[in-house]
Amino acid sequence: MSFLKFILKNPFRRKNSAVLAIVGIAIGIIVIVALGGITDGLVNTFEDTIHAGGADFSISGKETGDSAYGTNTIDANWTDKIANVSGVEEAYPIYVVLTSVGDDFMNTLIGIDPNGTTLADISMKEGRIFEDNESEVILGEIYADDNNYSVGDSIKIDGEDFEVVGIFETGDQNTAGAVFTSISKVGDLMNDEDSISNIYVKVEKGEDPQAVADRIDELYGDDIATITSVMEMQQMGDMLNMLKASTWAISLLAIVVGGLGIINTMLMSVFERTREIGVLKAVGWSNKKILTMIVGESLVITIVSAIIGSLIGFLACTLLGPQIGITPLFTPKIFIQAFAIAIIVGVIGGLYPAIKAVKLPPTEALRYE
Amino acid sequence: MNAVEIKDLYKSYEDGKIKALNGVNLTIADGEFVSIIGPSGSGKSTLLNMLGALDIPDSGSITVAGQDLSKSKKLNEFRAKKIGFIFQLHNLIPNISVRENIEIPMYTQKMSSAEMKDRALKLLDDVGLRDKADILPNKLSGGERQRVAIARALANNPSIILADEPTGSLDSKTSSKILKLLIDLHEDKNVTLIIVTHDMDVAKLADRVVEVLDGEVISAGDDSLINSKIDV
Repeated sequence: MSFLKFILKNPFRRKNSAVLAIVGIAIGIIVIVALGGITDGLVNTFEDTIHAGGADFSISGKETGDSAYGTNTIDANWTDKIANVSGVEEAYPIYVVLTSVGDDFMNTLIGIDPNGTTLADISMKEGRIFEDNESEVILGEIYADDNNYSVGDSIKIDGEDFEVVGIFETGDQNTAGAVFTSISKVGDLMNDEDSISNIYVKVEKGEDPQAVADRIDELYGDDIATITSVMEMQQMGDMLNMLKASTWAISLLAIVVGGLGIINTMLMSVFERTREIGVLKAVGWSNKKILTMIVGESLVITIVSAIIGSLIGFLACTLLGPQIGITPLFTPKIFIQAFAIAIIVGVIGGLYPAIKAVKLPPTEALRYE
Repeated sequence: MNAVEIKDLYKSYEDGKIKALNGVNLTIADGEFVSIIGPSGSGKSTLLNMLGALDIPDSGSITVAGQDLSKSKKLNEFRAKKIGFIFQLHNLIPNISVRENIEIPMYTQKMSSAEMKDRALKLLDDVGLRDKADILPNKLSGGERQRVAIARALANNPSIILADEPTGSLDSKTSSKILKLLIDLHEDKNVTLIIVTHDMDVAKLADRVVEVLDGEVISAGDDSLINSKIDV
């Protein structure tokens, strides 16, 4: 029998106690994995929503407020002014209107330059991008699925027939339910070619988006003060930071509770095996070997807890998350973090009982009844 | 060569209030079978602990198997290589098999799992329990468990076996069998055997009986003194 096998066998000598310790630590690991998955999922969703694809931020009319797709308008010539601000690489206007689309009395129609669709965080699933000023649309996959449209179909928008030339996918649920066409076509439909809703802005490589946004704010803040993405990003960033801090606080609590649990279990184990430890010393085991054995046993419990906790945390979040509108994101980092915590708890939890065992004089340990 | 040489050995506990060994002098030859007798609290267990390097003296010198234990620092290595312990209670580990229990002392040596297994099975042959190798200790009788403990004591080919009341928890018939086994192994393997006992019948089986009283060796081999001075 190898020393490792001996260590693996020992923790399960007292099954009830081992199971209780494993349950206690696994609960902590479940919390760490689940919160980690939810937080990363939220971060991912927020970033998808806010970033608007390749755009670093968007600009809208002052009265529109913080909405990413404001329906109030600004003058179209703001696009050129923004494009000329130092640090701006691209600025594309979008025109968002609510109008009758297909059988829907009202849906979101977004007009954008065909070359600017990359900034809108959409990628083509089927078909192609619409041509400029043509009666062509691309549909978000949710809209297309819900209304049974496919490429080549005809769709009536504001009383005019449009051809569905493509279906796009996006990480943003709102955009996935919308319809895109060229901005000039939206201007035609609205009889207003001088207005736009928002401007997507991409900054030059190496530029800080916040610095460019501040520059725009300084120049034109009186007219177009709202720089939505950056502000929302900051607010959501603050919220996510709070969520991350809460995750760490709960993880810390789980470590403390799990640590106390494992210390208690291992102390009981050492206490009950006092004579046995005396025998091990009598047959020549070194203090280092006894210490390794007890810390190893503690690690066996915490690693089993980490495996069980990670599995339950992952499955629970994956199955239940979508039902409450959360798409968790599990990266290897979360599991590495959970196992690292389990190992730290195992070592710390096992060390104190192990030192107690090592300090036991062999004669006293052998006399113990 | 002597297996044990003790000169003026002193050991006290509780800041000198309890004098467990009070100037012990004793010599035991290599391969000898010696029993140590004495009433409770006489110091015989302390003496056995000193011989097994489980405790260190306050003063005096104690040389066991050629090693000065009062000066040595790596006492665990000494115990692993030179000493085999047998206790009154077998002290087997309950959740591992009989064979695995015998392998426990071998973890102190550089041996592969296969070597450990072979050696443990050979020792189980010696104590007549080869067929019980893979069962747990709680399936064995008291006598069988003590035979496993004897095999464990021999795991690392020690030069000295120290047995503390090895038959103390066994009935007389089983005791006789265990003692016969111990004596046979002592003769076959030429191991020095030192037994601490209360039982005069057990003590008399030894080549020599050492009598301890109040922390002193009052007789190192004269049987007449045993009966006259100690009521064991």
